[in-house]
Amino acid sequence: MDVNKDSNQKAWLLFLGCAVPYRVSSYEISTRKVLAELDIKLVEMPEYNCCGLPIDPIDHEMMLILAARNLTLAEEKGLNLVVLCPGCAGTLRKVNKKLKESKMLREKINSYLKETGREFKGTIEAKHLLQLLIEDVGLEKIRSAVKKPLFNLQVSEHMGCHVTRPTGAVDFDNPENPEALKKLIEVTGAKYVDYIDKSACCGAPIAGVNDKIPLQLTKEKLIHVKDAGAQALITVCPFCHMMFDTNQPRIERMFNETFKIPVLHYPQLLGLAMGFSSEELNLKGLRVDPTPIISQVSDRAEGK
Amino acid sequence: MVEDIPRIGVFICHCGLNIAGVIDVKEVAEYAKTLPDVVHTKDNRYTCADPGQDEIRKAIKEHKLNRVVVAACSPRMHEPTFRKTCAEADLNPYFFEMANIREFSSWCHPSTPKEATDKAKEIVRMAIAKARLLQPLKEIEVPVTNKALVVGGGIAGINTALDLAEMGFKVFLLEKTESIGGHMAQLDKTFPTLDCSICIEGPKMVDVGRHPNIEILSYAELVSVSGYVGNFKVKIKKKPRYIIADNCTGCGECKEVCPIEFPNEWDMNMGVRKAISVPFEQAVPLIYTINLDHCIECYKCVDACGARQAINFDQEPNEVELEVGAIVLATGFDIYLPYDNPLYGYGKYDNVITALEFERLILAAGPTGGKVIRASDGKKPHSIAFIQCVGSRDLKKYEYCSGFCCMYTLKNAILIKEKYKDEVEVYILYMDMRTPFKGYEEFYRRARNLGITFIRGRASHVIETPETKNLVIRAEDTTLSQPVELPVEMVVLCTAAIPKADAGNVARILNISRGMDGFFMESHPKLKPIDTPVDGVFVAGACQGPKDIPYSVSQGSGAAARAATILSKKKWKIEPIVAEVNTELCRNTKVKCGICAKRCPYGSIEAPENQPAEVITAMCHGCGTCVAECPADAIIQNHFTDEQISAQIKTALKDNPEGKILGILCNWCCYAGADLAGTSRFEYPPLIRPIRVMCSGRVDRDFVLEAFKLGAGMVLIGACHLPYDCHYISGNARMKARMDALAPMLQKLGLSPQRFRVEYVSAAEGLKFAELMKEMGIQLKELGPETIKRENAMLKPILEKMLAKKQRKSK
Amino acid sequence: MSESKPRQKEKVEPEREFTKATSTSSEEPLSDMTKDKTSERRGSETASIKAHEFDPHFKHEISNFHGGEKLKQCFQCGTCTSDCPIARFSDSYRPRSLIRMALLGLKDRVLSSDTLWLCAACFTCTDRCPQDVEVASVIRIFRNIAVKRGVIPQIFKELGSNILENGIAYKIPELRLKKREQTGLPPLPKRNPKALEKLAKETGFLKKLKGSG
Ligand code: SF4
Ligand code: SF4
Ligand code: SF4
Ligand code: SF4
Repeated sequence: MDVNKDSNQKAWLLFLGCAVPYRVSSYEISTRKVLAELDIKLVEMPEYNCCGLPIDPIDHEMMLILAARNLTLAEEKGLNLVVLCPGCAGTLRKVNKKLKESKMLREKINSYLKETGREFKGTIEAKHLLQLLIEDVGLEKIRSAVKKPLFNLQVSEHMGCHVTRPTGAVDFDNPENPEALKKLIEVTGAKYVDYIDKSACCGAPIAGVNDKIPLQLTKEKLIHVKDAGAQALITVCPFCHMMFDTNQPRIERMFNETFKIPVLHYPQLLGLAMGFSSEELNLKGLRVDPTPIISQVSDRAEGK
Repeated sequence: MVEDIPRIGVFICHCGLNIAGVIDVKEVAEYAKTLPDVVHTKDNRYTCADPGQDEIRKAIKEHKLNRVVVAACSPRMHEPTFRKTCAEADLNPYFFEMANIREFSSWCHPSTPKEATDKAKEIVRMAIAKARLLQPLKEIEVPVTNKALVVGGGIAGINTALDLAEMGFKVFLLEKTESIGGHMAQLDKTFPTLDCSICIEGPKMVDVGRHPNIEILSYAELVSVSGYVGNFKVKIKKKPRYIIADNCTGCGECKEVCPIEFPNEWDMNMGVRKAISVPFEQAVPLIYTINLDHCIECYKCVDACGARQAINFDQEPNEVELEVGAIVLATGFDIYLPYDNPLYGYGKYDNVITALEFERLILAAGPTGGKVIRASDGKKPHSIAFIQCVGSRDLKKYEYCSGFCCMYTLKNAILIKEKYKDEVEVYILYMDMRTPFKGYEEFYRRARNLGITFIRGRASHVIETPETKNLVIRAEDTTLSQPVELPVEMVVLCTAAIPKADAGNVARILNISRGMDGFFMESHPKLKPIDTPVDGVFVAGACQGPKDIPYSVSQGSGAAARAATILSKKKWKIEPIVAEVNTELCRNTKVKCGICAKRCPYGSIEAPENQPAEVITAMCHGCGTCVAECPADAIIQNHFTDEQISAQIKTALKDNPEGKILGILCNWCCYAGADLAGTSRFEYPPLIRPIRVMCSGRVDRDFVLEAFKLGAGMVLIGACHLPYDCHYISGNARMKARMDALAPMLQKLGLSPQRFRVEYVSAAEGLKFAELMKEMGIQLKELGPETIKRENAMLKPILEKMLAKKQRKSK
Repeated sequence: MSESKPRQKEKVEPEREFTKATSTSSEEPLSDMTKDKTSERRGSETASIKAHEFDPHFKHEISNFHGGEKLKQCFQCGTCTSDCPIARFSDSYRPRSLIRMALLGLKDRVLSSDTLWLCAACFTCTDRCPQDVEVASVIRIFRNIAVKRGVIPQIFKELGSNILENGIAYKIPELRLKKREQTGLPPLPKRNPKALEKLAKETGFLKKLKGSG
């Protein structure tokens, strides 16, 4: 079937993954709002499964199979995948690349998939939301969709490791000097502030094995963000978001600090600039109260 | 020669255990005995040693040998040795042939001795087949211009020039910048004795400037080089200084009045110079230069110069042509500026500098008057950390060790400590401290005794504290297994020494190769470290790989001595492996052909209308391109004739051709790369039967057809990389054009494409050659002998027809 | 040296009490399973590395896995440890030391080390290693081998079984699924756990999950 035929909208298959529907639905809500406005049509993905990353530590091969199975679903639909979680995106990209390159590996994985009537062919691409915005939508188009530029706002980013790492496998942006999210933030009119150790990991993946270290890491980053004078932090990963937003009050209690730094999913920030209301973007779903930011935005809007 | 019935002597070398450890040498000798025209065989422990050579000389007399085959190492190594041996026994040296059973067999197939022995036998058999058809040749003598060109006026080039000049030869010393001196002139002190750098180099620079036999061509660049050993023609472009050199007295009165200052590159842009100036006080030649990019043309300098009239704003670049007999390259190195590494913050953080910048800081005559101060606030730092191996030993940047940075870091650290005592804490973050050579380890101890702190770990990240501009270095103290965050007030990056930005261009102009690291490649890493594959061109100093001062000086003198071996002779002998036209066969007498003349990379063939083509022997470099191109087979290349090469092909494919790869490899790149695979002991399957030609341009399409006609499993043509690596300018490109036409035709006739390969392997790519052999081995196995035989059966009649037609035509 | 004494094959510790799946957001007591138990356990009995502990083949074994190919190129520079986010806050987690132990052949020590499970797979080390060692992948290989010996931290076991039951790594409560639709989101796409179970059987993954209890 060809979904692209009947409109000038580009269709992408939406890979939700596990964490987004589990706990971070405001990311999904805002993404859907924003992409629709940018002429990206999202197609649902029945039968999908976990990307495989959580079980990579147990069984690398099973990870490959889970990822490959998702890729075959997209191939069947003839659509490229857009992925919200960088962990999933990295995994799908990496496996897609590996299987396309290595005939031996492809044959091996296909010999398993055959049991369930599937075969990896290597006909589609998988991209993280950021990559889609930069490469397929384009900054120009986004800029023209910005109705209420967020000129009064100063924000920082925490991009999350897997958007860019490991470099060779993911092939997007430069982790040591990332620019994608910076450009996307600047397009909204907000002022971008840099901070120390920006591309360091938040530690989320080891929560459950050891909770303390991730909290310490996140605390350190929050301190740097605060010192840099950012009014909000922007993320594009459900796990990072949980670390910075959901866990922020806990970190404040534990380390006796006050941050009160709202943490927005990037599509929420962009959504605000496009003129969506905070209800439409589900800003109340955030743990750290974003009111100060919303009021800034509306102040400006009134000012006009 | 009718009376010449070959009597071949075969000498098989054990090379200690290098060959005999894998190959059954006796078996090879026994086998050689059974081959036609072989009248004597002998195995020796070291054929190249005196007793071994003696045996050859004796055998030539005793057994009336008129051909000699030595089965040993690569002809690239010892062919000249044994040719001489033959000549000493009054045998024409071109009656000698070598079978390379070390680099091509024992060294690369150590775990399959049986197959290695079989391969060795066949390589010997191929050499004997060629030997039977060898012809005596007479060496060509060319006159020698006894002048030399030295390119690059750093400490290596200075020494070469002085030594040659002292021997009485005229030397042109070409320097790209305004002054000779090179990197050494930028340094403060030198290790391990802490003499002041310019104080010891300065006098030498002056000597060069004054020497009657040396002509400095500064502020000038190499444009082109043509000719050959003993007879090079060099074009040089002199950039305009807007100063008439002869009139400039170096008084500097002009500088005083010039109102314009700009950053002095020679000072790592830390100091400034005037729009009319010299880069540094001790410059040689002491001629001023006007930088028009900065000059506002106020002409104040013209007034100041006055009657001397040395300033001329209308000067144009001009080209000079030189004739020299030998060329020494001493073009030096560049220092890596790590702008592209965001992790160390160079270019972003004020107080992160490179070691060369540090040299300018601590130098008393430098822009800060010898005060070590921070760019951010002009204050003296209380702590300094040196980070080693920045860009070096890093597979993402430069793989190699830069060699001298450990030592100069120790020197800089000692200088700080001796100057500021415990007012400044000094840290060195290193992975391995490399202090070989005389006095160096003692120097290291001196540094430890001064209380310098050594941290064994590679710095991974430098972070600036925005308010103070201080820095935190992240590293692991690997001796404690403890990540450290080291706070310091200044960071010095000891960055890699890298090939000069224009090294590629210079290599192209001179037709020499560069290694994987980008530095110029020597002829042999141990035994010919100063020679290049081009006769008459030598290398000295850091252009061949990073070197410290003593090493560069010795190499400079070494290169002078090597060049003198040519310059001191009236005549130089060159190999007579040149092309010759058979005037009877040449079509140019009847039709307008002249293809050879068009395709010769050196334009050394003349083909006037209605006359047979003629090769100008002194100009012919012996690539053999014309031979392969001639449609009438009217040209031969001496020592690489069609008959000789066919005989090698036939013998290579006598048994089990389907299981073999016939390789025709060019001497300078692919054959050398294969040699390197052997020298490096990279193991690969023993399938290839190599034939050495000087240039891939010599590879006739008939060789390929013949090989497949005889049933070869695969054919490989190995050449230098396109477009510039060919040692005969464009032989490889000619070969490619030929084979690009042939390959699709063969495929149409039913040949699997994997079976015919053209590959480009440089002399540095031993690993690539070994990988290629492995890959082809797998493909050969995958195809299987049955498929190959089936294809061959189909091809054979057609190939036979094609080859016969050609023969008829040429008859 | 010593004629190979039977190596202590199953020197596997009893399953350590890795916490159950505490998601990153819940406010449960902190779990820090790894807090230097390694050193306690080793105590004096491992004061020196004993002859029987060397398994010179281990490095080759690792190099044969995808991602382990470059292991032997490591020259112990410490870049991986120094910028590892976990190492900066952990007393015991040192990626370089794990690599070093593997190069030395201390297979049992590596595979039974609790710290193995602390890597966040952020790939900073992999990206920065000057010798192209894929450090994070090497650690993943260690883990995969440890699993074959029956060591799986509880959290991974739970994620694994969730996937086989629901197709995704978490059990989402009914209430939340309903709430999705209230906020205007389409229903969560159906998954196909049957297919996954089939695959898990086929590959032996199921066995690995169950095998250790
Ligand atoms: S000399 Fe020392 S600092 Fe320089 S690359 Fe070699 S090891 Fe590194
Ligand atoms: S093509 Fe080569 S062999 Fe022929 S004349 Fe020219 S240089 Fe000599
Ligand atoms: S960064 Fe690479 S080379 Fe350095 S210690 Fe780690 S693995 Fe070894
Ligand atoms: S991937 Fe693991 S070992 Fe490497 S830096 Fe990240 S947490 Fe540390």
